[in-house]
Amino acid sequence: MGKSVVLASSPAARRSSNEVLLEGEFMPDQVNILVIDDEQIMRDGSSRILSKDGWGVITAENGQLGLDVIKSRSEDIDVILLDLMMPGISGMEVLDHIRAINQNLLVIVITGYATVESAVEAMKKGAYDFIPKPFTPDQLRIVVRRALEKRSLQKETEFLRREREKSLRDIATEKSKVKTIINCMGDGVLVCDRDGCIVLTNPAASRMLKVSETSLLGNFLSQCNLDSELSKTIDESLKAKDLSYSSVSQEFSIGQPEEIFLRAHTAPVRSDLGETMGSVTVLQDISHLKELDKMKSEFIAMVAHELRAPIAAVEQQLTVILSRMAGDVSEKQEKLLARAKERTRGLLNLIKDLLDLSKIEAGRMVQYKEPVTLQEIIQRVVDLMRVEAENKKIDLQFPVPSQNPLIHADRTSMEGVFTNLISNAIKYTPEGGKVWVTLGEEGGFAKASVSDTGIGIKKDDLSRIFDKFYRVRTVETRQIVGTGLGLSIVKSIVDAHLGSISVESEEGGGTTFTVLLPKGSNPTTC
Amino acid sequence: MSKKILIVDDDPDLVEAVTMILEAKNYDVAAAYGGIEGLQKAKSENPDLIVLDVMMPDKDGYAVCKELKADPALNKIPVLLLTAVVSKISTTRYTQQMGMETEADDYIDKPVEPEVLVKRIEALLAK
Repeated sequence: MGKSVVLASSPAARRSSNEVLLEGEFMPDQVNILVIDDEQIMRDGSSRILSKDGWGVITAENGQLGLDVIKSRSEDIDVILLDLMMPGISGMEVLDHIRAINQNLLVIVITGYATVESAVEAMKKGAYDFIPKPFTPDQLRIVVRRALEKRSLQKETEFLRREREKSLRDIATEKSKVKTIINCMGDGVLVCDRDGCIVLTNPAASRMLKVSETSLLGNFLSQCNLDSELSKTIDESLKAKDLSYSSVSQEFSIGQPEEIFLRAHTAPVRSDLGETMGSVTVLQDISHLKELDKMKSEFIAMVAHELRAPIAAVEQQLTVILSRMAGDVSEKQEKLLARAKERTRGLLNLIKDLLDLSKIEAGRMVQYKEPVTLQEIIQRVVDLMRVEAENKKIDLQFPVPSQNPLIHADRTSMEGVFTNLISNAIKYTPEGGKVWVTLGEEGGFAKASVSDTGIGIKKDDLSRIFDKFYRVRTVETRQIVGTGLGLSIVKSIVDAHLGSISVESEEGGGTTFTVLLPKGSNPTTC
Repeated sequence: MSKKILIVDDDPDLVEAVTMILEAKNYDVAAAYGGIEGLQKAKSENPDLIVLDVMMPDKDGYAVCKELKADPALNKIPVLLLTAVVSKISTTRYTQQMGMETEADDYIDKPVEPEVLVKRIEALLAK
């Protein structure tokens, strides 16, 4: 790259276009040094010395020209070498102008008649350094290098400052975005810090809870007059040490006379170290769903009752015929009638499940909560199931647990849960297999597992087995009678007790259902 | 002399079927097709035992049972409640509680197996 005239369009350059006033060129992404000196020898000398080090050098032969360059390209200039003694605008004046354009520009003044005074004055005006004339190439290099070091520190600082500004801006944008999202949400949001103080909420939450936003925000849960079950759940989520405690869903109603039903999902917020930092609750208004659900449940109950009576009568008639109380029955007739009776039995079971489900959904099944021990409940169910297990030559075990957690539950429906799980385990385990129930505690929960060595559940089916009417259809399950409602009933009951149910299974490798139920907090007051 | 059993159920088909079971075991059978009629026949027929359905439109089994047990002339007659729920322990407990609340002497889910019904009746009559 040879020398070329830059800023040919600048007025100064045009005015004296017959002379080369401005020489050199800026190198992009490289150190650039501007030399302002009226002496040709100095300009050429400096330019030669500095170019050797790979720096871009531009020279200007007077102050005005130098200032023009600085004005238009101040960002590209790293260091300025400025002669103090020049005709026209003096070096001191140029220095003043440079400082006015950009305070950060590093100026090294060249003092012709090495007077300490002028160097000191220039330094006072903001020059970075000075170099007395005459100087050796090495002296020049040292001074320039020092200035460049300073320059790179300056750049670094500037870069960091911009980064910081940018991230602060990003955070502010993010914050405002999140706030807007939360405020626009139809669902209510309630965020507490670890002390139970509400730190974030939205209009939907205050509308649903019928509490003004100002009396929520910044107040402690206990002061907000919230539904007691909800406060309790949030409190528990804050206290939960156990990492398996993920989220709890519950339903409750508030307000009189216009009652609204809310569903609340509460989950602890944890730091990356697993420490609980707070708790988030999302509220949904499910009044409308409740209304529909109630109608549906009532309809199912009505239909089921209406269906039940005639089917029960038919089965009663069949049992009378089959027991030969209405006369003789041939072997062929008996076979057909027995089959018919099996079918009516299946229908009655389906109706029973439907009724159970509609009762649970109408909230009538889990009304009588009392303190019970799971051991007692499971033992009772295991005893009742023993015959069924023995008929299939299945080893049914319930070892005496080391812990016997007390829970607050509806005994009848809790028995339903374990009847269903154990009966399923027996049904889906081939003869000679094993079914076992274990009981223990985990964090604030009673934990009961029902495991078997049965046929297992396919991955695809696992996610759907708690759905209503979902049945796994394979060659092995074809012979097994079921309504596809059992597990959804189990889940509804567990949900109604604020617990959770999970399943682990491997196709052909057995299945384990695990039920977690909150422990009764104080047995004496239950 | 054979014992007399009163069946109270609003479903005639069920009454007929239960009648066949009981007649096969040589009981005398009287039938009533509703709660009110059941109470009348409890007085007029002088039965040794009453098989009483729960779900009836005019007066349900619980109400009938309560009145029977409140009447000094009738409260000695054992009452076997025919409950409408298919046997599964999640619900039998419920009906059991209901049965006890209504002071019925025993309860049984319908449809009933003939042998079970007969055994329960024999047990109640032997008391």
